[in-house]
Amino acid sequence: MKIKKGFVLRDVCGEKVIVGESVETINFSQLISLNSTAAWLWCTAEEQGDFTVDSLVDALCKEYAVDQEKAHADVARIVEKWLEIGVVTA
Amino acid sequence: MYYRRESLNFAPNFKKMKDIYYKVAGHVFALCTDGQESVVCDLRQYEPFVTEPTEQLIFRLRISDEKPLMVGFQEEVNQEDEGQSIVAGTLAGHPCFEFWLGKVRSALLVVADDYRDCVVYVEANRMFGINNALMVLYALSTADKQTALFHSSVVSYEGKAYMFLGRSGTGKSTHSGLWLKYIEGTQLVNDDNPVVRVEDGKVTVYGSPWSGKTPCYRNVSYPVGAIVRLSQAPHNEIRRLKGVAAYAALVPSISGKRWDKHQAEGLHETENLLAQYARVFHLDCLPDEDAARVCFGAVVE
Repeated sequence: MKIKKGFVLRDVCGEKVIVGESVETINFSQLISLNSTAAWLWCTAEEQGDFTVDSLVDALCKEYAVDQEKAHADVARIVEKWLEIGVVTA
Repeated sequence: MYYRRESLNFAPNFKKMKDIYYKVAGHVFALCTDGQESVVCDLRQYEPFVTEPTEQLIFRLRISDEKPLMVGFQEEVNQEDEGQSIVAGTLAGHPCFEFWLGKVRSALLVVADDYRDCVVYVEANRMFGINNALMVLYALSTADKQTALFHSSVVSYEGKAYMFLGRSGTGKSTHSGLWLKYIEGTQLVNDDNPVVRVEDGKVTVYGSPWSGKTPCYRNVSYPVGAIVRLSQAPHNEIRRLKGVAAYAALVPSISGKRWDKHQAEGLHETENLLAQYARVFHLDCLPDEDAARVCFGAVVE
């Protein structure tokens, strides 16, 4: 998967928010608030470029002491949401 | 004889070529009419903003009657609103903007890299093209200066300004009209395109030479009492917005080239400051007296 061109993570009044800032996303008027885990995953996905649920789970488990199974469920849920909103392409 | 002829040819033209300086919300720009007799236009709405010549310019715009060469034009974005559209793109590598009124192209603006020699080629509906070119340049050249060109109708009451935002057709002007009619002491500041600046945590709104269909070109400024986003509804109800919700309410009403990284950075910074320092509200409203009263009761401290 990849983050669609033009979507960036911004700090809005202390919260992490995804906004569309490109020719491709000009008609995307929503703001998407991310909690700290989702924001961390977004940055990791950006770094990885081409990412999968598994690659994000691996990174998450390496960085934090979390249960693999629970991590997988959380990451899958967040990534599914991104796909649904259309900020990520499969 | 030769020299004399040359001076006769050039001196009068040189004299006619004149820059006029305007100061809007503290930023100065220059307008140059290119010395062409045919490029005479009605700049009365700009007169309250005339200022002394200075070197500190945000941009200089030359008005030209020549036919622009469209070789190498590439379209990026086409935004349409109420029969007016702005087509943004590049022309031989320079950012450019076409302004259309229905099916007629009114003007083409070509933006110079340092904003020093921008040119607007006027074709039809001259003032429509010039006004749009100036607004686009103003927004572009001040985006990194904690300055925002708003789409808003603004009134003042007891030394503070109240800004009404909303999509075209929502009733921003109508709501201002209700304050003017029912709330004594209210005055119209600007009906369409005011400028807002954030300076040391203080938010100030300025009148501008652009005011939509209402000729209200006042060179005044007020501290912002509140910014209110309007939605049409079968009832009147107001609520305070904070944080991300306040930011989201402001963004759609601020002009800018958001697909340009540098522009987006500057706009975000200003919008983020506004979301923190301005009191932002959302008003569900009818076009009636009660709407103005409900709004007034909540936003005026």
